[in-house]
Amino acid sequence: MPFKRHVEIGRVALINYGKEYGRLVVIVDVVDQNRALVDAPDMVRMQMNFKRLSLTDIKIDIKRIPQKKTLVAAMQEADVQGKWDKSSWGRKLVVQKRRASLNDFDRFKLMLAKIKRSGLIRQELAKLKKESAS
Amino acid sequence: MAVGHVPARARIMGRDWPGTKSLRAWRSGPVSRRINNLVSGGARGFRRATPSPPPEAKMKTILSSETMDIPDGVTIKVNAKVIEVEGPRGKLTRNFKHLNLDFQLIKDEETGKRKLRIEAWFGTRKTSAAIRTALSHVENLITGVTKGYRYKMRFVYAHFPINASIQNSNKSIEIRNFLGEKKVEMLEGVSVVRSEKVKDELVVDGNDIELVSRSCALINQKCHVKNKDIRKFLDGIYVSEKGTILTEE
Repeated sequence: MPFKRHVEIGRVALINYGKEYGRLVVIVDVVDQNRALVDAPDMVRMQMNFKRLSLTDIKIDIKRIPQKKTLVAAMQEADVQGKWDKSSWGRKLVVQKRRASLNDFDRFKLMLAKIKRSGLIRQELAKLKKESAS
Repeated sequence: MAVGHVPARARIMGRDWPGTKSLRAWRSGPVSRRINNLVSGGARGFRRATPSPPPEAKMKTILSSETMDIPDGVTIKVNAKVIEVEGPRGKLTRNFKHLNLDFQLIKDEETGKRKLRIEAWFGTRKTSAAIRTALSHVENLITGVTKGYRYKMRFVYAHFPINASIQNSNKSIEIRNFLGEKKVEMLEGVSVVRSEKVKDELVVDGNDIELVSRSCALINQKCHVKNKDIRKFLDGIYVSEKGTILTEE
């Protein structure tokens, strides 16, 4: 019930609005009550409103406003990208992206696959029902 | 989460983020164009003599919190701002949903005691003040459930004695010979008793301090004198002592 993900120096966040949508960044400093200084290995350091950030569980160990190379080194050490790709949130985003980029033929194939899969599930369910009824 | 509502089928790829389509449509749409024309219309446009200054922003404290110890012999349950306290004298609940605070039970640190911690994130002066009052309310729940509350009231009369009889198995009191007959019902869980050894005294007992004190107030208010100088007509039933049932030395 209490807050677990705090805004702190080193907290990894996901940008959820704006030009940088979908990017993982590290909070490197807090400007004021509403804004943070945010940095990532492949981006110029910039300020962002907290409302544009979704905090993640990942946190790295850095001092206030580190140099770019220290930041990159710390991120490599903490394996931020690896942890993100393994986390359920990171994996879900990949799936959402894939689903949004389907064309009509892909959706057709998806429909067939779903039908086939639910057919198999129904068969197994019928078998189990028969066993429990008898 | 996001600044705007994130639709389910968002365009995640590319430079567009959820909400850009509607944002662009709004910005170049007919309504927005008319508003722009009005605002920049000059003499014909919508004019304000001087724009009203924005109100002063209140200072917000990032985090203010307080903790309190929970004594042994009392079990506390905290769930969604509803506090339940159970002890030897019974069970009490209190709902703090009107406050914007976080309640949590902390496990023992080195001392080995359970604590209740109340936090206010980005609170104004008033919300930070509410932390301590919430703690006091919980403290009252705990003493109510361990020691109970006993309020004593005395009859005060100049000449004509006030007659009071307890009815309904200590649940209601009937007052006679005081500006007519008055009947007062006690609230739930509260009992009244006529004190034996002391003359003209009532003892009001209960677990919940709010209910006990309110019952005393009901008795007191029934005996208010109307249309007279109250500095002279001092008769009535007044609370003389506020204490607990079990007293520890």
